[in-house]
Amino acid sequence: MALEDVVRPNAGGRSIAVAVAAVPLLFVVSGLAIRYAAFASVSEEPGFAAYARALCRWDCAWYIGISEQGYERFPIPNHSNVGRWGFFPLYPMLVAAIRIVFPFQTILVATITSIICSYAACLVAWPLLEKNMRAYVLYCAFLLSGPFSFHFTTFLTEPLFVLLTSCVFLALKRSSYLAAGISSALLSATRLVGVLVVFATVIQMFREHRQQGGSTLSFPRWVLGRPDLLVAILISPAGLFAYILFLYLTVGDGFAFLHVQRAFGRVAGNPLVFLCDGLSAVPTTGWLPTAPQWSALAAVTGLALSAVLVVRRQYGAALFCALCIILPLITNLASMVRYVVGLAPLTMLLAALLSASRLTYLAALALFLGACYFLTVAWTGGYLALV
Amino acid sequence: MPWSDIPAPYRRAAWLGGYALAAILAGSEIVILALALNPNVNADYRAYYIDRTTTCLNRDATGSYTLGQTVSFRSDGAKQAASIKVCGWSGSAGDGTHSLGETSRLRLEIPPLGHGLAATLQMAAVIRPPQITQRVVISVNGVRAHAVTLSGKEPRTISFVIPPAALGKADTLEIAFDYLDGIPPTPAASNIYKRSIKLVSFRLDAVEAD
Repeated sequence: MALEDVVRPNAGGRSIAVAVAAVPLLFVVSGLAIRYAAFASVSEEPGFAAYARALCRWDCAWYIGISEQGYERFPIPNHSNVGRWGFFPLYPMLVAAIRIVFPFQTILVATITSIICSYAACLVAWPLLEKNMRAYVLYCAFLLSGPFSFHFTTFLTEPLFVLLTSCVFLALKRSSYLAAGISSALLSATRLVGVLVVFATVIQMFREHRQQGGSTLSFPRWVLGRPDLLVAILISPAGLFAYILFLYLTVGDGFAFLHVQRAFGRVAGNPLVFLCDGLSAVPTTGWLPTAPQWSALAAVTGLALSAVLVVRRQYGAALFCALCIILPLITNLASMVRYVVGLAPLTMLLAALLSASRLTYLAALALFLGACYFLTVAWTGGYLALV
Repeated sequence: MPWSDIPAPYRRAAWLGGYALAAILAGSEIVILALALNPNVNADYRAYYIDRTTTCLNRDATGSYTLGQTVSFRSDGAKQAASIKVCGWSGSAGDGTHSLGETSRLRLEIPPLGHGLAATLQMAAVIRPPQITQRVVISVNGVRAHAVTLSGKEPRTISFVIPPAALGKADTLEIAFDYLDGIPPTPAASNIYKRSIKLVSFRLDAVEAD
């Protein structure tokens, strides 16, 4: 019996609620089992703590540093040029706060917190997926047992970013602008691009204004006449501004999170050139695409899915996702796969598209679960495209 | 809750409160933005992170040194070399220490001098055909002391007398290496990753002052 059959059209609300809660729980367990099997295949050290440490790759170490020691002042200790300022504070702060109550290793606390955030993101996605059980199952499988599930279950900002993005779009769907604004404020303290979701809020306000018969020209006056809308817009970047103020008071440079990118070797350039360079980096041996090719393909796929969102008249989500891809693409292709799979509107759209037929649904489900194992092995091995 | 659902007696208060909150938010954000646009940082921070006029982030580091002593920049001398490296160097390796970026600096304490100083360095060029030479300008305490063009992969010994104007009554020597032909690892790479030389050893000797 396929999972979506658990909930039949005539099923009662209680059984639906149980299914909505149980489906992501099932994928939490299956995801842990698959990723642990992948970890065990390459590691001799058993146990959950060793597993959590093995999955803590790349930026994860920075977040552990922030969670345990906070941000450096200037000059940075140990003659380093690279400060932690480029990594936004909300998620490491959250983990630090939880660690006060549960005083275990940071990576253990963070791993469990990430799983809880991703689980919650699935629950929030249910109404956003129009209560389509097939799409919901695929989405939950993707986040919790999918090929990139390690991004959503270790100490990276993706779990909280996906959860808050979903909260923003759910609030907008319900025209709860203050809730959207507060979620946006938290999102802007999670990752820099989170602040861009304010455009989706303004677009939703504009749509509502038009639906009420308002003209385009009268939109600014309509917003100015509604203090709740003004507050919703102005509170959206509050997380970013709070971080800027913190950096100004501690480092002396509110834009240290941008300026420190120099020490990471990030150079602004033409996104199209970066894409072309990435796509043309053909493998010298074998047929598997190179890391730059995977990154470029992820960016192209993400932009294509953003275009599909436009076709589906989800203009706010489309603009948010496109900007979240293009903005980091200005510096290079680094982390592009992670950035794209961490865009909830895109992965929800993908789940909805793949659930259109039973065949594609089953094939995608099998692919997600199978790829989880192999990509987890690649992730623990430090494969560059997954950074 | 939609705005219109607020009971009438409270609507005006909520309306005023909403505008007050919006004004506070807007005002705070403008003030924070103004602060961020006027960073309160030192010249070293500004030059490296903001203006990007240097690839070498100056640090408050000065190593001790005894005249006549040869400091190895290979792995065997990593500890002492680390104490005089200020910026623009990678870690010590078996064949020397690679320069990073467009400028590298060494800084060391020197005893009171009644004489001049001569520097002897062993350096090799980093080459990638068609570029087979590296031009290096060496300055001491801001005074240009020597310029050399390195070629070939084998280390070359370079000696020069430090200009008296660079010494004065200074108790520290800051030796800057400016690279005119640094090679970036890829065409799009940041200039902080440019490679120019491998420094193998460094030595200072007393010489008769003019």
